[in-house]
Amino acid sequence: MKYTEFKERVMAAAASRGLTEYELYAQEKENISAETLNHEISAFSSGNVTGACFRCVSRGKLGYASTELYTPSEAERVVEAAMENAACLETEGEAFLHGPGDTYTKVEAGTVTEPTASQLTGLAMQIEEAAYAADLKVADGSQSGAVFYRNQIYLSNSRGLDLTHENAYTMAYSSPIAKEGEEMFSGFYSVGGDFAGLDPQSIAQKGVEDAVSQIGARILPTGTYDVMFSNHMTAALLRVYANIFSAEAAQKGMSPLAGKEGEPVAAPCVTLTDDPFCGESLVRVPFDGEGVATSRRDVVKEGRLVTLLYNLAAAHKAGVASTGNGVKAGYAAPVSIQPHNFYLQKGGGGATEEMYEKLGDGVYITELNGMHAGANPVTGDFSLASAGFLIEKGKKTGPVKGFTVSGNFYQLLQDIALVGDDWELRPPMRGGSCFGGPSFIVRGMSVGGK
Amino acid sequence: MINKALLTRVLEKALSTGADFAEVYVERTKENNIAMIDSKVDSATDKLISGVGMRIFLKPRCVTASCTSLVEEDLLACAGRLADALDGVPDNRTVRLQERLFGDIHPIRVVPGDASLKTKTDLLKEGYFAAKNYHQDISQVRANLLDVDHQILIANSDGLYAQDRQIRTRMTVTAFASKGGEKQSGTCSPGRRMGLELFDMISPKSIGEKAARQALTMLSAGYIQAGRMPVAIENGFGGVIFHEACGHSLEASSVAPGQSQFCGKLGQQIANPKRTALDDGTIPNAWGSVNIDDEGTPAQRKVLIENGILKSYMVDKLNGRRMGMESTGSSRRQSYLFDPTSRMTNTFIANGPDRNEDIISSIEYGLYAKAMGGGSVNPVTGAFNFSVNEGYMIRNGKICEPVRGASLIGKGSEILMDIDMIGNNLETAQGMCGASSGSIPTEVGQPLIRVASITVGGR
Repeated sequence: MKYTEFKERVMAAAASRGLTEYELYAQEKENISAETLNHEISAFSSGNVTGACFRCVSRGKLGYASTELYTPSEAERVVEAAMENAACLETEGEAFLHGPGDTYTKVEAGTVTEPTASQLTGLAMQIEEAAYAADLKVADGSQSGAVFYRNQIYLSNSRGLDLTHENAYTMAYSSPIAKEGEEMFSGFYSVGGDFAGLDPQSIAQKGVEDAVSQIGARILPTGTYDVMFSNHMTAALLRVYANIFSAEAAQKGMSPLAGKEGEPVAAPCVTLTDDPFCGESLVRVPFDGEGVATSRRDVVKEGRLVTLLYNLAAAHKAGVASTGNGVKAGYAAPVSIQPHNFYLQKGGGGATEEMYEKLGDGVYITELNGMHAGANPVTGDFSLASAGFLIEKGKKTGPVKGFTVSGNFYQLLQDIALVGDDWELRPPMRGGSCFGGPSFIVRGMSVGGK
Repeated sequence: MINKALLTRVLEKALSTGADFAEVYVERTKENNIAMIDSKVDSATDKLISGVGMRIFLKPRCVTASCTSLVEEDLLACAGRLADALDGVPDNRTVRLQERLFGDIHPIRVVPGDASLKTKTDLLKEGYFAAKNYHQDISQVRANLLDVDHQILIANSDGLYAQDRQIRTRMTVTAFASKGGEKQSGTCSPGRRMGLELFDMISPKSIGEKAARQALTMLSAGYIQAGRMPVAIENGFGGVIFHEACGHSLEASSVAPGQSQFCGKLGQQIANPKRTALDDGTIPNAWGSVNIDDEGTPAQRKVLIENGILKSYMVDKLNGRRMGMESTGSSRRQSYLFDPTSRMTNTFIANGPDRNEDIISSIEYGLYAKAMGGGSVNPVTGAFNFSVNEGYMIRNGKICEPVRGASLIGKGSEILMDIDMIGNNLETAQGMCGASSGSIPTEVGQPLIRVASITVGGR
């Protein structure tokens, strides 16, 4: 059955069991993708997924159950399962559904060109051919691709909320392999936006540059170095450590930022902003996973913690209002706390090349690997496999690899010496939040190499 | 889930523009997850995943489509979308499905879906409070109990019709120890292709205690100093080194497109002669085991490396076409939404000739990595990394003080040669492995090994 009919059945099933507070959150996702290998389209894929998550407040507790099967029996089952799940919870006073009354910012959808299958395969092939043409070292095994995503959210609840929001965009990537003798080097570059605005030439060029620039990379000797993290690495670090700004994490002793509002937690050149409406973002959202209106805010301003991020439950506990950061990682996930488009603001250090000059002698890090294991979001400790370039007398010289960079994220925030102006917001991963910022410099970091 | 007559029509529709192979994968998965934090049951969720993934091949080219709906009209439309992507000549092939039963070597005594929530929360609490009450410095504990009932049906144009039901259970306890503004964590998360009888074998109490002990040990540890040194890596999750440094590069998904450091190396010496490594999907009730893979091929026990010689890759049907090789029962996908590809099951280094005490005593100055975290690899270059959750310095052949913040990095083809001592206490551990076909349960394992020299990250 269609979603609207399923929704009616679920709402009726909830009412008939005497529930007074309940909600249905549904997601429709569509993606079409094309991928190349060795000058040919090797894979073409299309997918549609729909799923709905039922939440209810039962005896003061919040139960969840979800399904992808829109049938009459599933409509009954999700209600029963959510009530049963609520009954086994031991947390009280944390069950809230949001009511009407918010003013939702109108999010400009922008231009959305929905590409046809042959346009997508055409784009992937153009990137592929441009990559081979860009450098003679580009070898077989290189791949390119293009993916169109559409995501629609529906949220309806017994308090009268009935919201929907859609976003759509195309991502394209170049994943070339460069060969030098027996050795292979892999590059990657991806960009997202409206299909019509994607430039295959520049995507291929950047992917190939990434691969070719690593040729001849030397292993960095162990020691202490001044380090410049590239703008993409700023995004990667914020992605891993965003949770430290969650009020829930703070309330549960999982973030040392608890109670630090108004205090310095970072160097004065650091301003961190969450902007759900960021013009450069592929994902702009008017409401969060609980239907609360989203809004733009500085989380850290000139080094001082302004606010943590809240969903309804954490806000109630702290006696404040939700900041509209109750986010669901997929329709079936419980509501957690995440920023929407979270970035480090420009710091006046100039363009990337100017930042090299300000670094002087040191390492420019363009790759951090194993973030899911080597960076602990609770303790802040990280020790990560890295690659990048040596900067000597303000100029980028040879590539370096095979080293680790280690530190603690909380300390790193305070040690940032300079923030650049080469700001970029990275595309979302698996439809999640976006992260970004410019490059930045930290003096005297520990590096393990040969 | 879907009857044979409809599956046949869907396959025939998918073949209608000249594909030489068509496949339908139907999934129905029930997942329950109960979580605790702050000493309270904090969330209980269950979800039903239900949908269909379809593929057609024309030589090495592959077209895939997926849909959530199981309604005839939607399934035929989905097959039509597949067919539309090819413009070959239809040969009006008919499909005749014939059921095959491959058997089930993974008995389940207590199906988690039939157990009460109370039974499950009691087990979880036992694990939770074993960690929480272990020591006064344990400031917070997070724990969850996950059970998955994953039913799959695979039908293809060769006439295959096969089903499997995979039940898995896993408890994870993460303990945080705090003192004087310092905070460290410890984790233990065993799982099996089993029901709740898992906890008769591994008590929840032991899970919680292990997590707490690790957090406390690390709380008193200083940071390791970075540099190159010999490292002894303990059994169990230590096997992640083979999984990352070598396993991923032996998957046909890397080898077939020429994206692996081990392309064209079959029959060659790629590792120290002491070294034998296997991928075995047939171990009863093991976390990474499957009766059949996600293309309906029975699981196999494959010797990947024997005495240092590369013997086999892990191959799925599509990449097998590209490589001219048969499937090794290695095709896996997280769900119907992901395109399947070759992946690992239970992958481990076999016991070797060395005595464990000799391995430790052979190291004058180095690291003993008792418990490993996760890691990652770039199969093209072989550059890998993984983190050490619990490490100790070795001085003059003796295990000394604990150290925190260590990570190990290197290049797969080099470390295979540098693993020069292999002990005899093989043990396995469970993880979730993420790659293009999604997040799947895999097991890693090894005995205690020595890496002669490796870069250790620290401060």
